[in-house]
Amino acid sequence: MAGKSGRSINNVPENPVKKALLSWEGILIVLFAAVNIFCIWFSEYYNISSVLRQMPVYLAEVFLMLAMAFILVLGEIDISVGSIVCLSATLTCMMSNTGAPFVIVVLTALVVGTICGMVNGLILTQFPELPPMIVTLATQIIFRGIAEIVLGSGGSISVKNTAGFKAIAGKIGTDIKVPYILFLVLILGVIFAVILGKSTFGRKVYAIGTNRVTAHYSGIHVQKIRFIIYTVMGTMSGLCALFMISSSYGANTTTGENFEMDAIAMAVFGGISSMGGKGNLAGGLISAFIITCLRIGLGQKNVYAQVILLIIGVLLICAVALPNIVQQIQKALSVKKKA
Amino acid sequence: MSDYILELKGITKIFPGVKALNNVQFQLKRGEVHALMGENGAGKSTFIKVITGVHKAEEGEMYLNGQKVDFKGPRDAQAAGIAAVYQHATSYPHLTVAENIFMGHEIIRHHMIQWKAMNEEANKLLQQLHTDFDATAEMGTLSVAQQQMVEIAKALSTNAQIIILDEPTASLTTRESEELYHIVDQLREKGVSVIFISHRFEDMYRLASRVTVFRDSQYIGTYNVDEITNADLIKAMVGREINDLFPKPDVKIGKEVLRIENYTRAGFYKDISFTVHAGEIVGMTGLVGAGRTEVIESVCGVTHQDSGKLYLDGKEIHIKQPSDAMKLGIVLLPEDRQKEGLIMSWGLGRNVTLPVIDKYAKTGLDNNQKEREIAKELLEEVDTKAVDIFQPASSLSGGNQQKVVVAKALSQEMKVVIMDEPTKGVDVGAKAEIYAILGDMAKKGYAIILISSEMPEILGMADRIVVMCNGRKTGELSREEATQEKILELSMEKGASDRKGAAN
Repeated sequence: MAGKSGRSINNVPENPVKKALLSWEGILIVLFAAVNIFCIWFSEYYNISSVLRQMPVYLAEVFLMLAMAFILVLGEIDISVGSIVCLSATLTCMMSNTGAPFVIVVLTALVVGTICGMVNGLILTQFPELPPMIVTLATQIIFRGIAEIVLGSGGSISVKNTAGFKAIAGKIGTDIKVPYILFLVLILGVIFAVILGKSTFGRKVYAIGTNRVTAHYSGIHVQKIRFIIYTVMGTMSGLCALFMISSSYGANTTTGENFEMDAIAMAVFGGISSMGGKGNLAGGLISAFIITCLRIGLGQKNVYAQVILLIIGVLLICAVALPNIVQQIQKALSVKKKA
Repeated sequence: MSDYILELKGITKIFPGVKALNNVQFQLKRGEVHALMGENGAGKSTFIKVITGVHKAEEGEMYLNGQKVDFKGPRDAQAAGIAAVYQHATSYPHLTVAENIFMGHEIIRHHMIQWKAMNEEANKLLQQLHTDFDATAEMGTLSVAQQQMVEIAKALSTNAQIIILDEPTASLTTRESEELYHIVDQLREKGVSVIFISHRFEDMYRLASRVTVFRDSQYIGTYNVDEITNADLIKAMVGREINDLFPKPDVKIGKEVLRIENYTRAGFYKDISFTVHAGEIVGMTGLVGAGRTEVIESVCGVTHQDSGKLYLDGKEIHIKQPSDAMKLGIVLLPEDRQKEGLIMSWGLGRNVTLPVIDKYAKTGLDNNQKEREIAKELLEEVDTKAVDIFQPASSLSGGNQQKVVVAKALSQEMKVVIMDEPTKGVDVGAKAEIYAILGDMAKKGYAIILISSEMPEILGMADRIVVMCNGRKTGELSREEATQEKILELSMEKGASDRKGAAN
């Protein structure tokens, strides 16, 4: 049906393939290849089996990135996740040392994380005007504080019965051994990416992140969605804690420190805007693997951890500034063309 | 010396993809008030920005007092005595009035800001404008009208010879507009030349001696206000004739749909009751701040009333949040299109389908095909001037954005439609189209509440008019008995004396 004036409005999108090639994700895939080529040149130990062997400890943080992406798209931030990992890991180790069955130990990790996430979610939705940065700064201190009280200042805890943790840190394959965690990351990655990018829930998250007031007026349950996302952030922190224990068989007061920043860095480098409403998890996942490969490659030649951080920092600034630079170039070009 | 204090010739300004101004001209006489009119997107604002040095024109010349000038930036224009007061005041709400006035050119001695001198100087300027607030008042505590006066004082503080007012009355009530008129009169007496942009014809007739019309980035003509008829002016602006601005259809009014009983919310409104019937347009009017929007927001679940009952089709209903209201078929088209109505950076299609996404995408996953169909159909139904459904809402003019808001409402199953200031900042051509849509909705049997500050709109479209003042309902008039005078009287009844109190 055409309008009164007979004007027709086009509703056929342009060719998606062309769009994808020019997108940030396209650039990231090229960068992923480039980083791997660099690492192979840089380190003689860098190959598939060494990467797969060293991967698990870094992959644990990708769980955090998956949920953090949702929070960033909301236009918010959660800086308490590192502390949730610490608290969850501590209590999980204690539960394991009581001799409880491993299923209960796994549940402990997830439940503790979920409860912490719910605390964040409850505060933020009951007082929607509070800034998430400050609220989660407070809970960051509180959650780690509880862990320190339990562990004693500077204390640590080790698990006595490592069988269960060894099992989940297991690998599949004979020649090339692929760790379980890689499968889990990929499966959860696809699920989270579909929810964010293709589901109605995801659409609502983008709506809230772009304009919370309009979203509210449009009948979206803004606070319910925020609560769900902060809760899931907690659950993923618990999952991260579980895999942290499975690589170190213990926890201490510094477990999970700065993990929130790593998760944010992966997401932002993947093109997810910290201002909300922009980016997707395809980019987030590729960038997570770029950073993981870079860390492994540089780590193999004993490059200082601080230098690795520095390189990631520089990459991050480039990633954030690049869209602006591209925009300016495009603007300059189009003005020239028209004039 | 030249006759004209300001003269522009052959101005062309190109933005990526569009010619925003195409060979336009303009002449401003010394000490005159000159109206600049045209539909949204005609190039008025761009033109103002060329004068004030914000934009640089690709072609054309500008003469100030007969001398050719070439502004490199806003500072040059300011130094040359040109000041602009923009539609949305660009103020610092937490600073004082004096600080706002002297922002950027503070009175400084020995590297220190001279607070006392600055406050005194600011008060002098405010006195000239006969304002009722002090220079030490915090900007954020002032009403929109008062803030606008501060902006004008700011312009005066730079000794401006030419003052440009960009839609100064858009957010003012009738009485506040009257005060603004006085100020403009004073400026003219002082020999200041004024250019003002407005969509309101009252403004032009009251103030301007000449009017220049732009349309589609082009100069159409300059006319003496005394010599041009309303119809001719509209024709010049729109490019076609508009026979009936208010196409109010003859609709048989049906049974009661919505009944609001004794709605009260402390500090906002008290004891509001009224009903709306199927096919009926109920106008709600009153001064800005009378509590109209607040009542409606509670009806739609954006806020909550302290007490009072709401009935839909005779049954009492309870609404906790906007989605509850929408489920029941009560749909609000909010006042602020950009902040409440639309997601400006999103494509039109996604905006239109946002409220119904759960209905058409039943699996929980997006249904792009369905989304595109719904969006195309609805956007064409309201005749949106758009190329495709993917262009961002921000790329449309105000009138077309409003049409998208209407399309978004139409995507839902509605019984009650509530429109809050649907034609605010919308040009006359698009206004007529929006009234036509409103008429169509009434014909379809929706119960409609139309909130508006524009008297002609209320008188032209409403079957019944509810007038509010200071949070209370002061009267209800039928279409036959309503006159401008009666409405004004009701909307200022008790509150007129304590204006100061209301402002603070």
